[in-house]
Amino acid sequence: MISLHRISVSFFITLISLTSPGADHYRLPAGAGEAGTGYSCIMKNGFWSSFHNQALLADNQSFTFGVNYQDRFGISELGTRTAGVIISSGKTSLGLIYSHFGYADYRRNMTGLACGLKLSEKLAAGVQVDYFAEMVPGEYEDVHLVTGEAGIVFHATENTLIGVHLFNPVPGSLTKNSMPATLRIGAGTNLNNLLFAGAETEMSSGNPIILRMGFEYEAAKKIWLRSGFSTENNSFSFGIGCLAKFIKIDLAFSTHERLGITSSASLIFKIH
Amino acid sequence: MKYRVYFFFIIFFPVYSFSQETRLSESIISIAEELAADESDPEAISLYIEKLFDLFENPVMINSADQDEISRLFFLTDFQVKILSGYIKSSGKIISVYELANLPGFEKETALMMIPFISLGEVRKENAYHSAWRNTLITNIIWKPEYKDSSLLGSQVKILTKYKFSANGFSGGITAEKDQGEELLQGNPPLPDLLSGHVAWSGKGLIRRIVIGDYSARFGQGTNINTSIHTGLSLHAPGYMSARSEIRPYTSTDENNFFRGAGAEFSISNLSASFFYSRNSIDATLSTEPDSEYIKSFYTSGLHNTSSSLLKKDVITNLVYGINLSYNLRNLRIGTTWSEERFSLPVRPDLHDPEKIFAFDGNSNSVYSIYYNSLINKILLYGEFSVNNLMRHAVLQGLTIRPSDRLSINLFFRHYDEGYFSFHGNGPGGSSNTGTGKSILGNFMFEAAKHLFISGGCEVQEFPWLRYRTSSPSYRIKRAIRMRFVPNDNLLIESSYYYNMTTADSDEKNRIPELKNLTTRSLSTTFRYSLSENLTMGTRIYYKLAEQKDTRGMILLQEMNYRFGKLPLTLWLRYCLFNTDDWDTRIYTYENDLLYSYSIPALYGRGSRSYLMAGWKLSDKADVRFKYGVLSKLQTGNIYAYSEEFRLQIRLFI
Repeated sequence: MISLHRISVSFFITLISLTSPGADHYRLPAGAGEAGTGYSCIMKNGFWSSFHNQALLADNQSFTFGVNYQDRFGISELGTRTAGVIISSGKTSLGLIYSHFGYADYRRNMTGLACGLKLSEKLAAGVQVDYFAEMVPGEYEDVHLVTGEAGIVFHATENTLIGVHLFNPVPGSLTKNSMPATLRIGAGTNLNNLLFAGAETEMSSGNPIILRMGFEYEAAKKIWLRSGFSTENNSFSFGIGCLAKFIKIDLAFSTHERLGITSSASLIFKIH
Repeated sequence: MKYRVYFFFIIFFPVYSFSQETRLSESIISIAEELAADESDPEAISLYIEKLFDLFENPVMINSADQDEISRLFFLTDFQVKILSGYIKSSGKIISVYELANLPGFEKETALMMIPFISLGEVRKENAYHSAWRNTLITNIIWKPEYKDSSLLGSQVKILTKYKFSANGFSGGITAEKDQGEELLQGNPPLPDLLSGHVAWSGKGLIRRIVIGDYSARFGQGTNINTSIHTGLSLHAPGYMSARSEIRPYTSTDENNFFRGAGAEFSISNLSASFFYSRNSIDATLSTEPDSEYIKSFYTSGLHNTSSSLLKKDVITNLVYGINLSYNLRNLRIGTTWSEERFSLPVRPDLHDPEKIFAFDGNSNSVYSIYYNSLINKILLYGEFSVNNLMRHAVLQGLTIRPSDRLSINLFFRHYDEGYFSFHGNGPGGSSNTGTGKSILGNFMFEAAKHLFISGGCEVQEFPWLRYRTSSPSYRIKRAIRMRFVPNDNLLIESSYYYNMTTADSDEKNRIPELKNLTTRSLSTTFRYSLSENLTMGTRIYYKLAEQKDTRGMILLQEMNYRFGKLPLTLWLRYCLFNTDDWDTRIYTYENDLLYSYSIPALYGRGSRSYLMAGWKLSDKADVRFKYGVLSKLQTGNIYAYSEEFRLQIRLFI
């Protein structure tokens, strides 16, 4: 006999996979500012992007705290709540992030401890150790995984940054887990003082290449408009952000060709 | 052995401040991947890479103005060698490599191509020859732990050792190799599976070179004799380069396609003469009929790791001898070659198989050829005509025009008659073999703007007789276009598009199959950027589409090369993810490897391929290189299968 619990879990697992065909489910969905540019962010300085590419941590020179909520297709069970903190110490910055996805019958928690270091004027590198826990009450077995990710960022020119990021690079055959490996490579440039444009490509093991591009425009002082496109589900994204004293507020919306709108909101507090 | 090497590809490598070996690799990548994608004989790649590494390690002393020394740049035409030599004699010394681009017959890309392989340093008084003894020993050990097969006779380790010495024009060397699964020593007396050696002397007078032992030879365009590297045109070639006729010591690892005996080159004024004689044992599959012993087929893989393959080793004696004469006029070179080849047993193809009706039948073959090349203003003409004792012929004709300094155009035609054979020939052409058929090829190279190079070409091949998996006359079309942008010394962006349409039998049963078209299109983009003198990064994206099956393949890879400042250590890292639907959409990717070695895996399925390689220079007399690679592939059931590989190289210079 098939239990209702099984149906419920199966339904959501199916839905999760539908939401992002061609991508892995372990990608951090944090940062409304990043979501606004279609997540083409591994080369763009920012609080949340520092957890997309830990090399960017090195550019965070203050104690910063942030929270983020992603509401996928208006289904509360598919929501992701994330919190992070960055502590700077000269050329090195440390970061801690916690993310929770799911609901009572299916939860995925991720905790990451990251470190970013400036290697030279033009080059920075960062690493992060991740702990994933997938929990399903009842007869299903919980899954606990430890993995790592690393990235570098370098200034190709004064205004152009190139980023490379690897997630779970050790082949699954050696780690004996089926978690996908992901490679992201991107470049971004400040076209002028107000406009940033970036492009990124991503490939996860077993999935096709995804291309992303996005821009951010400072429409007024401390107010930013964002837009982006990703070939993953032909998704367009839009966003807005503003900075008020020490609080930065970002909102973003992205489309899915079949399933609707995903919205994100984040708050970033610059403490010191 | 059918070599096809398009060394014109290397015309595309740029002048950027990457490390020397990174530059070299850039040139190798295009060539080797193209060769591998055409499934040509891997020995062709091996030979080509060996030549490049040899040049890289012993760069040509360009200011010596010695034609023989300059001609070691095997990708230059005779005319370019002559012009360069004359220029250095008249002007004294080349100060910058950029001077080369202004010479008649040269172009910017040719000059750039030469950079890793030349030295502008002081000219040695002894010309190209070292006065002191120089010994080099190199050993490669390759181990694949998962490579297990109980039918193999020996261990799974592959070992290659090369020893060379040179002094005062004398040189010599020994090459020994044991492939995976072969016994370390075999036979009576016990010897490695491949044991090759030579002694040679090079001079400036009447006797230009004498080689005793194992050697390779090439004359003219190669339709008669060419056991050396094969020149040719690619769809991207900016010009045709005919390699010089030569007899060279053999140091490669192909176990069948070389000469064993003696060869000599002589020269008097503008007349050159070469004589060669070889008596070698080669591999073949013999008939099992007791009263009628003959050769069913030649066995060319060189692998003797099972009892059955060992039975094919050295069972035939191959006798080859011949003469080459050539004469240089001011802008014209003409030459003629005669060669005779005999086998100790006759070759008897299965004539019931329609595909083999024109196959070689007998135990001897003679080939006569005449060739020429001529430079008239900005037009280079070259051609060759060969005919064998069955009066079957091979003809080729090429034309290179340079209407402006920024544009070069090539046209090339070849026709190999059914029944034309040259067992040690390997002429140029767009095909991977010199089998029957016609082909016509056209290409161009255009410097569209400052730092921007565009090249492209098209080749149509016609096969009038049956081929493997093709039961009726067929054809093939290839097209390519490539754009290369080199805005500064630290950045290279390159995009290329390939179209390949060939034909094969349809899957129909119980009737003569009709031909179906097999079309693949591929797009690739490469970014290479140097962040500092010590750090180089590279990103590559491939996309391939097989139209008939509507399957796709893609690859994203990132690589890094870092040379430590204080330590004599260099690291190479690559991480590559691939996802292809089937074998038809496989993608070949060149990898950095041990010196004088290469790795070009065909990636298909879903997974990742990564490697780490470290090179440590222990002293001026020794260095070590180590590579660890792992291929991880997703299997059914979400399970990964993986294969690891360890490679170690030790080099000693004394």
